Amino acid sequence: MLFSSLFNRGEENMKMETKPTPQPIFNISKHGMFILLCLLPALLLVSIFIYYPLCKGMIMAFQNYSLFDLTNIRFIGLQNFKSVIVNPDFKQALINSFYWVFFSLIFQFMIGFVLALMMRKKFRGRGIYQAFVFFPWAMSGFLIGLIWRWMFNGQGGVINDLLLKMNLFDTPIPFLADPKWAMASVIMANIWYGVTFFGIMLLAALQSIPEELYEAAKMDGANNIQQLFHITIPYIMPTIIATTLLRVIWILNFPDIIYAMTNGGPAGSTHILSTYMLEKIIYDQDYGQASAIGVIIMILLSFFSIFYLLATKFNKVGDF
Amino acid sequence: MRRARRIFTLLCFWLLLLGMIAGCNSNTNGNDSKNEKNNDVVTLKMIESLTSPSRTKLLKEMIQKFEEANPNIKVELISPPLQSADEKITQMLMAKEDLDVLEVRDQTVKQWSNNGFIEDLSRYTNNWEYWDSLNDAAKHGATSIDNTPYFIPYGIYQKTLFYRKDWFEEAGLEVPKTWDDLYKAAKALTDPSKNRYGYSFRGGAGSSDYVEFMTWAYLGDKINPADGYFTKDGNPMFSTPEAKQALEMFIKLYKDASPPDSINWSYPEMVQGFTSGMTAMLIQDPEVINTCIENMEEETWATAPLPKGPESRVAQQTLGTAGWGITSYSKHKDEAWKLISFLSHPEQNLYFAKNNSLIPIHKSAGEDPFFKEGYFSSYIEMNSKPDEYLIADRPVHYKGWGQFRATAEKDIQALLLGKSSIDSVLEKWSDYWKKEKEQQNN
Repeated sequence: MLFSSLFNRGEENMKMETKPTPQPIFNISKHGMFILLCLLPALLLVSIFIYYPLCKGMIMAFQNYSLFDLTNIRFIGLQNFKSVIVNPDFKQALINSFYWVFFSLIFQFMIGFVLALMMRKKFRGRGIYQAFVFFPWAMSGFLIGLIWRWMFNGQGGVINDLLLKMNLFDTPIPFLADPKWAMASVIMANIWYGVTFFGIMLLAALQSIPEELYEAAKMDGANNIQQLFHITIPYIMPTIIATTLLRVIWILNFPDIIYAMTNGGPAGSTHILSTYMLEKIIYDQDYGQASAIGVIIMILLSFFSIFYLLATKFNKVGDF
Repeated sequence: MRRARRIFTLLCFWLLLLGMIAGCNSNTNGNDSKNEKNNDVVTLKMIESLTSPSRTKLLKEMIQKFEEANPNIKVELISPPLQSADEKITQMLMAKEDLDVLEVRDQTVKQWSNNGFIEDLSRYTNNWEYWDSLNDAAKHGATSIDNTPYFIPYGIYQKTLFYRKDWFEEAGLEVPKTWDDLYKAAKALTDPSKNRYGYSFRGGAGSSDYVEFMTWAYLGDKINPADGYFTKDGNPMFSTPEAKQALEMFIKLYKDASPPDSINWSYPEMVQGFTSGMTAMLIQDPEVINTCIENMEEETWATAPLPKGPESRVAQQTLGTAGWGITSYSKHKDEAWKLISFLSHPEQNLYFAKNNSLIPIHKSAGEDPFFKEGYFSSYIEMNSKPDEYLIADRPVHYKGWGQFRATAEKDIQALLLGKSSIDSVLEKWSDYWKKEKEQQNN
């Protein structure tokens, strides 16, 4: 789209103009040149701040790059990838990543969708209510992790306190100390955080559905559930596909909550790929291996995105 | 008209880009050089690592005094958040960003000196009148790498035992002298129904430090103090029967006398557990003294020397040091040293150590009643008996040191959860250090 306008629109303009115009350089019209010059500053910034670090990171994945000794940086082929993959912690982190993304996404989406449906109808104080609901999204993930860490505290945490007071349990549950509970606990915190994103995005999409569609459906005798499945969901499908895809990418790349709550523990049971990568940087100071994990995450996400878009007929999603 | 609009739009885009680039470039440099030319004022850039709001305030106060005494030097203090401070400093050093004075710690000194980021200060310390007034611990910390002074410590971090004096008196218990005593007392004071436990256990980040000094206590003088994870005969310390006893004790302490949640506890939870009245004992650094004074009633708590190994009859720990160093590429090294020597002056250091709850670096501070009596006296006692309270160095000069800590923390949690056995973990750690030593020797 962008490139077609770059090369064609100028020609169309030329056809429309009666007086002869000078021959464009490199076959790019004057208009195209103008667009290029406008885009160049942005392109430069994107290259410096996104593509340069990205390429640098990819190169580091093939280097012996340890902060312990920066005087000995050299290419070592696939050694970093080998060292990472053979480590049993990596396998555990990979499996955990799947649980982390899957359960976080499903619940975030469902609760966010219900919230958006509830807020679609006008009611008194909706603005204030919306502001409160969307509040978590404005907070730092690390801070959220710290708050939930204290809430889930096995001894003095508010969640245990409530459970004990409601007589649901006799003894406090060591949420973050027991591997069976730890993963569920960090996922719960992540759900709380991410619900609002779906709430905001889906609400925006819902508000774009013309009211006439519902009126027509009502006249045809459709009930609420039929309206939901035949009007609401199909209408906002492009938003659903785009947001879920974005969330999968973001959730997998989001170590903040886990890092603050459990630091991957107990015994590595809550490590996901991105927290494992942080561990390689912070403890081992091995930027080479950490970059290798980063590249693996990128490859996984690229494959996922392609399959997801193919499976959901991505052309309906539009430009994004 | 249209053409003018186009040119205007284009101009806007490019001006925006130029504006951003100019924004990225710190313009203080320009001001500095102007100042330098006009008034001969040198601006030093200083960065701290173990940042806390109260400490930053204290430092700024001291810097102000320095600036008053040296009107031709200005100091700009950078205070990054504690969590990522060392990484931030490393990145600044790698990019050779403007920095003159920096906080160097025992954890970072090897890496930074290895990469040539920090200056050997011997040409300054050789002529420094207070070098010989430094206590042994401070000197040891300053020259721990290659026998070269890369930084001047501002204080010493050493662990001591904090205990609930009132609970001990109530239960008629003696202050523990050995790890066996500590376990017995901790068990006696544990009552989960009252949410009361004997010991503030550390199972989360930093847990390997606790296994380390327990193992050292059990092994006593068999440890090679210069190469702390190996015995004097060159074997990894984890391959000894004493290491097994220490690890067994470590697990017993968790299972019988510590909150179940403490498998995940690190610094804040341990301290909170003690100050909130959940746990009876805590082993921590001296800065916790200030936290306890602020949060606990007087006479309810006290400090005591570290517990000893049951057979070795000695306790052994490492000295944590942090201090001020100069970047190797600083353009104002002499001025930077002026600042460091000012901060390290006995009077200034005593003031800093008192307010920051640290062990001071000068011998003269031992005579100060603040340290001689009261909560710091356990430190004075430990330092006055060097045969009973030994000092060993961590193997920070091995490449695999950082990785070992990460691995060990996971293994410790697996042990506490009953997912691995003591023997298999010790074997894994012994192999790890054997390999590290082989690699180091090659």
